[in-house]
Amino acid sequence: MNAIDTAIRAAAASITVKGLTKAYDPQTVVIPPMDVELKAGEFTVVLGPSGCGKSTLLQMIAGLERVSGGKILIGAREVQDLEPKHRGCAMVFQNYALYPHMSVFENMAYSLKVAGMAKAERAERVTAVAKMLGLADYLHRKPGQLSGGQRQRVAIGRAIVREPGVLLFDEPLSNLDAQLRHDMRVELADLHRRIGATTVFVTHDQVEAMTLADRILILNKGRIEQFDTPKAIYHHPASVFVAKFIGAPPMNILAVTGDGSTLRLADGQVVANAPLTGAYQIGIRPEDIVVDGKADGHAVKAALRFREDLGSHSVLAADLGGSIVRIATPFGMDIADRLELDLNFPTSRLHLFDAATGRAMPGALGAH
Amino acid sequence: MIENARSLNIVASLILLVGMLYILGPLYLTLTTASQSYEFLLRNGLAWYPGDQFLNNVARIFTETRIPIQMLNSLVVAFSLAIATCILSFLSAYAIVYFRIRWAGVAFALILATIMLPVDIRVITTYQVASNVFSPINALLDVTGLNGLIAQVFGEPVQLELSVLNTHFGLVAPLVAHGTGTFLFRQFFRTLPGDLFKAARMDGAGPVRFMFDILLPLSRTSFAALFVLTFLSGWTQYLWPLVASSTPDMQTAVVGLARLLPDSDGEVPDFPMIMAGAVIVSLVPLLMIALLQRYLVQGLVLSEK
Repeated sequence: MNAIDTAIRAAAASITVKGLTKAYDPQTVVIPPMDVELKAGEFTVVLGPSGCGKSTLLQMIAGLERVSGGKILIGAREVQDLEPKHRGCAMVFQNYALYPHMSVFENMAYSLKVAGMAKAERAERVTAVAKMLGLADYLHRKPGQLSGGQRQRVAIGRAIVREPGVLLFDEPLSNLDAQLRHDMRVELADLHRRIGATTVFVTHDQVEAMTLADRILILNKGRIEQFDTPKAIYHHPASVFVAKFIGAPPMNILAVTGDGSTLRLADGQVVANAPLTGAYQIGIRPEDIVVDGKADGHAVKAALRFREDLGSHSVLAADLGGSIVRIATPFGMDIADRLELDLNFPTSRLHLFDAATGRAMPGALGAH
Repeated sequence: MIENARSLNIVASLILLVGMLYILGPLYLTLTTASQSYEFLLRNGLAWYPGDQFLNNVARIFTETRIPIQMLNSLVVAFSLAIATCILSFLSAYAIVYFRIRWAGVAFALILATIMLPVDIRVITTYQVASNVFSPINALLDVTGLNGLIAQVFGEPVQLELSVLNTHFGLVAPLVAHGTGTFLFRQFFRTLPGDLFKAARMDGAGPVRFMFDILLPLSRTSFAALFVLTFLSGWTQYLWPLVASSTPDMQTAVVGLARLLPDSDGEVPDFPMIMAGAVIVSLVPLLMIALLQRYLVQGLVLSEK
């Protein structure tokens, strides 16, 4: 661990958001009052579909967008009215936003130069960061002469050279190709482990969220749907929105009706026993559905529509009472020309949601 | 379309040849005339072949006419026009692109409108304003009735007067108000990633610092292109310098050149000397194009977008 790592670790600050709102006018509210606390040194991924307000949230933390109401605290300091440079945040942008006319060295040193740091100290810091990111040999190149991954690294270097308390990422991997995205993801995770800066990472890619995050903040229309660890979000989604958003293919959501002792699908087949009456939604992950086997749930029949063989597994799409259910099965299962499938939904794997609000109802089906 | 028919090739070459004659013919005549003596012209009419009097004619331009001082005027006008246009265009485009101004769209539309209203169209009103730059204020005072009030209180209405006619400022200022440069810079700024401004803010650079450290170095080519274009247009301006300057010492070279023609009818103009003057006056823009043609092309490409 070198000097830069230590300095950033020491500077890592918590972010507290209290009643934060953003509205361009009374009709267009992007973020209704929001309260959330991100711990110092934590890697938080803000995940949501486009237009959910995740970038706005990030830019408000950075100071690039005005807040319409509420407070933002970095550490113990209220920062919502401060200029970006006084907040101790650094940001990595989606398109890198490197200064095209400056060399890699000048790009990384620019913020230090603006801050009035002595030339020798500047060079020392930039060299240390460049070495850490494997950019030492490229310091004199212009951004135009670098590959996408290298540019990304320069953007990260430019951000961490200031030893910020908070590192902000705005969809930084979406411009890279699949292979590079994977490599950069690993590098980012490694970097965070080493420098331990409080990190807020905005993305719409669930894989990035699942692999990088300590905790994932899922936003929907500016509201927090769930804020929890990747594991908890995957296994205990707090709402239908989260259940559908996480997982590939996503969780199957089916409308059911309770008659006091059982839950029935639209076509009358029983999927679970529960002392419930009225309309509900149940969810089950594609990989939790058992085909042809014995499990602790009820057997239902579904018509096979099509299959996708993906090598590691196959995804079947079946028609169950009018809605399509996706099932992940081991590759090579002998079901090519069968039209009817015997499915079993293990009760322990079922998720129950309120039909009206879409919120999860943990425990209503018995122990999870 | 690529055709290989021989007959087509010949026809195409012929058309090209005619076009070249059309353009180069007058140029050739300019050069040959400039190298003949006035007597030769009086005897023979058009000069179809070059003579040996070119240096003599050039010397006469420098000794007998005001062209040298007028070229100096042209230089002052063209340079100040180019520099002022560059600065103004850069700043206005910066304001329009990078700041959230409610009426930025309207402002930009008005700036664009100036492209459709060159000095040649509004020459009379421009002359009126130039002859008294306070005339709009006077008119405003009259219309609003304030002047009547002032006349009652002080005994006399306000009539401010300041003429910029026959000054270098008066020659340049009306030409600066032209939207092409703003448009060119705006188009260029819009090709830059928008996050650049945000990145600079995160790095602690305010709007002024961003302008000097980031935007200005990036705009070098656009500056050069706009500079060449406006310099050339300033150098070749005819109508406005003709109207706005009244003494020969304030006129630009192009106007001076036209004034070399005798005022009275019947006299045969000293064409060899005038043509020699035309050659000299053309040298400056020619030099400019030769040195900066790379940027000229880029500028034309940019403004076409």
